Amino acid sequence: MSKRKRWISLLLATSLVMTLTGCGGEKKEEKSDEIITLRILENDTAKQEGYLDELLSSFNEAYKDKGIQAVDANMEEYSDLATNGPYGYGPDVIYQANDKLMTYAEDKHILPLTIEDFDCYEYIPEEAWDAFRIQIDGETYCCGIPVNIQEPMLFYREDRMPENWETEWDDDQNGVADFFENWNDLYAYSKYLRDTDTSPNKDSQYGFMSSFNDLYLNGQFLFSYGAYVFAENEDGTLDAQDIGMSAGNAAAGLCGLRQMAALMNEGCIDDTIKMNRYEKIANGTYFCTVSTPDTYSLFIEKLVLAYEGEGMNEAEAAEKATENLKMIELPSLMPADGDLSKDSAEMSEDDWVSTIVMGGVNGYGISSYTEHREACMEFVNFATSYEMIQKRMDMLGIAPTRSDVAEASGGVTDMIFQSLENGNIYLMPSIKAVDQIWVPTHTLLGDIAKDPFREAVGETPKYSSGQDIQTALEKVDKDIYDAIYTLK
Amino acid sequence: MEHPKKRPHLSFPVKASMCIMGTGQLLQKQWVKGLLYLACFAAYIIYLAVMGVEDMIGFFTLGTVKGDEWLGIEGDDSIMMLLRGLLAFVITIFFIGIHKSNINDVRESDRKIKAGVALPGFKRACEIFFDKKFYIAALAVPVLGVMIFNILPIVFMILIAFTNYGGDIVPPELVDWIGFDNFKKILALSEIKDTFFKILGWNIAWAVISTLVNYFGGLGLALLLNKKCVRKKAFWRAFPILAYAVPGFITLLGFKFMFSYGGPINYYITLHGGSAIGFLDIDAGMKAKIIGVLVNAWISVPTSMLLATGILSNINHDLYDAASIDGASKWKQFIKITLPFVVFSTTPTLITSFVNNFNNFGIFYFLRGGLYNKGYFLASDTDLLINWLYNLSIDNNYYGIGAAISLIIFLITSTFSMITYVRSNAYKKEDTYR
Amino acid sequence: MKKKKFWNSSRIDSLFTHIVLIAVCSVFAFPVLWLVMASFSKSGSIYDIEGFFPDTLSLASYKNLFLDTAMYDYPNWLKNTLFVAVFSSLIGTVLVILTAYTISRFEFKSRKLLMKSTLVLSMFPSFMGMTAVYLIMVNFNLINQLWSLILIYVAGAPMGYLVQKGYFDTISSTIYEAARVDGATNFKVFTKITLPLSKPIIVYTALTQFAWPWSDFILPNMLLKNKNLWTVAVGLTHLDETQFTRFAAGSVFIAVPIVVLYFALSKFLVAGVSDGAVKG
Repeated sequence: MSKRKRWISLLLATSLVMTLTGCGGEKKEEKSDEIITLRILENDTAKQEGYLDELLSSFNEAYKDKGIQAVDANMEEYSDLATNGPYGYGPDVIYQANDKLMTYAEDKHILPLTIEDFDCYEYIPEEAWDAFRIQIDGETYCCGIPVNIQEPMLFYREDRMPENWETEWDDDQNGVADFFENWNDLYAYSKYLRDTDTSPNKDSQYGFMSSFNDLYLNGQFLFSYGAYVFAENEDGTLDAQDIGMSAGNAAAGLCGLRQMAALMNEGCIDDTIKMNRYEKIANGTYFCTVSTPDTYSLFIEKLVLAYEGEGMNEAEAAEKATENLKMIELPSLMPADGDLSKDSAEMSEDDWVSTIVMGGVNGYGISSYTEHREACMEFVNFATSYEMIQKRMDMLGIAPTRSDVAEASGGVTDMIFQSLENGNIYLMPSIKAVDQIWVPTHTLLGDIAKDPFREAVGETPKYSSGQDIQTALEKVDKDIYDAIYTLK
Repeated sequence: MEHPKKRPHLSFPVKASMCIMGTGQLLQKQWVKGLLYLACFAAYIIYLAVMGVEDMIGFFTLGTVKGDEWLGIEGDDSIMMLLRGLLAFVITIFFIGIHKSNINDVRESDRKIKAGVALPGFKRACEIFFDKKFYIAALAVPVLGVMIFNILPIVFMILIAFTNYGGDIVPPELVDWIGFDNFKKILALSEIKDTFFKILGWNIAWAVISTLVNYFGGLGLALLLNKKCVRKKAFWRAFPILAYAVPGFITLLGFKFMFSYGGPINYYITLHGGSAIGFLDIDAGMKAKIIGVLVNAWISVPTSMLLATGILSNINHDLYDAASIDGASKWKQFIKITLPFVVFSTTPTLITSFVNNFNNFGIFYFLRGGLYNKGYFLASDTDLLINWLYNLSIDNNYYGIGAAISLIIFLITSTFSMITYVRSNAYKKEDTYR
Repeated sequence: MKKKKFWNSSRIDSLFTHIVLIAVCSVFAFPVLWLVMASFSKSGSIYDIEGFFPDTLSLASYKNLFLDTAMYDYPNWLKNTLFVAVFSSLIGTVLVILTAYTISRFEFKSRKLLMKSTLVLSMFPSFMGMTAVYLIMVNFNLINQLWSLILIYVAGAPMGYLVQKGYFDTISSTIYEAARVDGATNFKVFTKITLPLSKPIIVYTALTQFAWPWSDFILPNMLLKNKNLWTVAVGLTHLDETQFTRFAAGSVFIAVPIVVLYFALSKFLVAGVSDGAVKG
């Protein structure tokens, strides 16, 4: 038997393989006339709804002669460029949210771009570009091309509007229900729904519903009141040492959140509402809920199912669902003192602050590890053209950052665009330290949302006064600071 | 065996093999063997020349050129250099081992030639080796695999504990050796110390309780199924096995949903007029801990039941008969006969189970992730050390500190388990069985 | 003398035993049943199920699972998982059995050291080494390959040799010695004597070696970037949160082979694990 020989040859083979693969990593491919293939990482919704196919095929059609073709990178939508890129496993072009992309930019995993070269440059507002700007050694670079704005939106079924809303719930008679204009009326209507719930367990009709443990969806309770995540230096960069969750009148805002929670059920403490909102809007249990524009198709899907359950055929159901499901911006006025229970009729203009929600800008970045920078830029230029953005909006229901597309479509899309321009969207800070803000704030928001339910079962509430909330917020600031700096 | 004294009288082939592997064998006309050794030697030299030396140097410098992808500067990847340096050392150790075997082999042949014994041919030599040193041949591949995929990563992590890797220092930044700074930091920072001891206390309690619950749960179930009055044992045993078959993370996600505010349990509570209970939310504390133990039992009891069933079938039934005659009660029989036997037989598995529970990452990661409690630094009150480590090193990127803490935990737990293991009867009396 | 009562103590005992058994078994069965029922829910989500079980049942989830593969290619995941699990199980079993047998049977210098170090090694939090595993795989160009997963599973398998070693400890060494006297080589002893005697433990090992890759998602998640290579566990964890019934259907479907295997081999299992544990 030649077992030993086999062992030894195995060993030799292994060492040989080690040597070869070791060198393999350093080998650079020579440029040739072959077709350049770009790997594009898009998000799952774009893939699911067929937009990605559309984009790739139109691009490949247009660039057939130039020898460039784009393919789906076929990776997980949130996959991390920092772990994949340097070793050659990353995509060439990546579509992600601004906070994520700019984390890569800090370590130069994505390329700085000469944004003036892109056709979309002049149509996109500065606010959106700012989300992708970064200062390195005193120089400002822009590392991403904005595509669409993400902000929490209100979703509701039009047929669930109270029949008499035009007379009873539209004091200013402007044709928009008051509860979509200010939070006090939204509170009042939610309270009305709860009070008139006649089901044995009082769980058949709710007004506004949201999983309060989520900062992104509920940022308006903080940012409308002067809170900020990181303070801005004079030169526009962010100072991660100055954390301002407790700044301004944020505690008042959270008092409002606490009031609102009392009109919901315990589902607002954890992710429950975030999970069941699609069904509960479809079956009418919740009057309205908060979610991001990219989930529009999920609401439709569930509503279609509900209609099909009532005996409609597919086409009818789909048509009725699109007609019936509405997506609008959150009410634009919040009470300055945070007291949602006050009657809006008795409030003057000074008693309001305008709603500032938390939002983000999704966009394209180009990997620093791509071998075809020029081709990538061509692709991004193509993907952010009027036609493609238009198509993206039609297919995915997103709110584009391109002013021309937003204007042409009008309606909600344009409103979101305006909000961004008017500063009513607090963009997620584009620095790495932002990773540390989520868990501490989620924990606190969930805890405050639980407070009304503590009272209901006879426990002592933890946040009965604004002062308690202020202290807790300051603790959150400190926790975030510690998380960032303790171990540095 | 060789004696050091003999060294001065090295024969020429031995000397030759000492300098260049395989040449001695060739001189002794052991062609195949010699060529193989020579090839190994050549391979190693080539490896050193091409990358080995560079890798070893890199291990100490951890890179000198900071990369800048924007300027097209390909920098040094410190972490990769650390790993490649480590690999270079492992390969070198491996080579030294082969080299030693090469010298021993030449000496052995030398001795045989002097004694006038004919050297076996290559094939025959292999056969002899394979039979006489069967354990080496059999364990070579497993040991090699474990070395590369278990030991190497652990050594790597231990080394990381002495670097400043993590936080802002991730590639393309260059990592540096910083000695014991991470450990000093841990000892100096009160937040970390407090959190560490709080979690350690709960972690130990958790490991003890859940090991006992799983163990006695399994044993109790096995005893129940073992009763004479229970027929169709296979049928009853099917249920726990069903639970075993569903992959753990699916079970955990399912349980998380069941205990959530929108889950079926709270649905029934509210349906009957009660108010929903936050089984796993921020205030849950004890409730969440108990649910953790129970869910863990649900997952682990089936295995320990299987184990116990088998062991019980091995008990000598004469013992029970004798005890019955003596009038011992059922309970007494259990305490005096069953329990000692079972515990004695399963000490090693008990230790393994303790260790697994101590490092049980999944339970609280899935059931109650994403919460930080008051008084804890980057952790919640149900988190085990392993969850905390995960928060520190994966979620928050503090690899260096995380590695340092895991090293401390590792020292504590391994000392403990080693002492228990070495003291256990099963270990001491291992040989008496054979 | 006492009258023979219907409710004598053994009958009461039996009744009591069965009540407890029914209770315990329902505790085990219920969540599984819930998962199975959820997978048959018509609406595609569990959030409109009132209480534990859905009102209307349908096979839609299973149909989607296998036919609607544009986003979630379950059949492909299943194929990948099967490939990885089968080969890991085959090779892993060989290595574990070989390791356990060698450590049980042979006395050699570093034997105790080997045993102690495996115990200590298993104490190390494994994910802390994941970075290193990832880098090793990157270094050898083994990312995005199913074989690299098999390599890692197989390499780690011998660490769990303890139960198997216990099994071999119970085989009396006299058989071996007799065979050795008859001139059989150690390899022959292993193949001709040990293996035929160890069917139960081989089955047990093969099953556990199969079950691990079958349901693991940490490693494949790290090493398989390409969606076409995903295994079932990775795929399921990436399902959208609103796709719960599909998740449930997918979970039920991957639990089935394990259940079937366990039932088919349950005799071997009990025998294998028991003999092994006695002196493990």
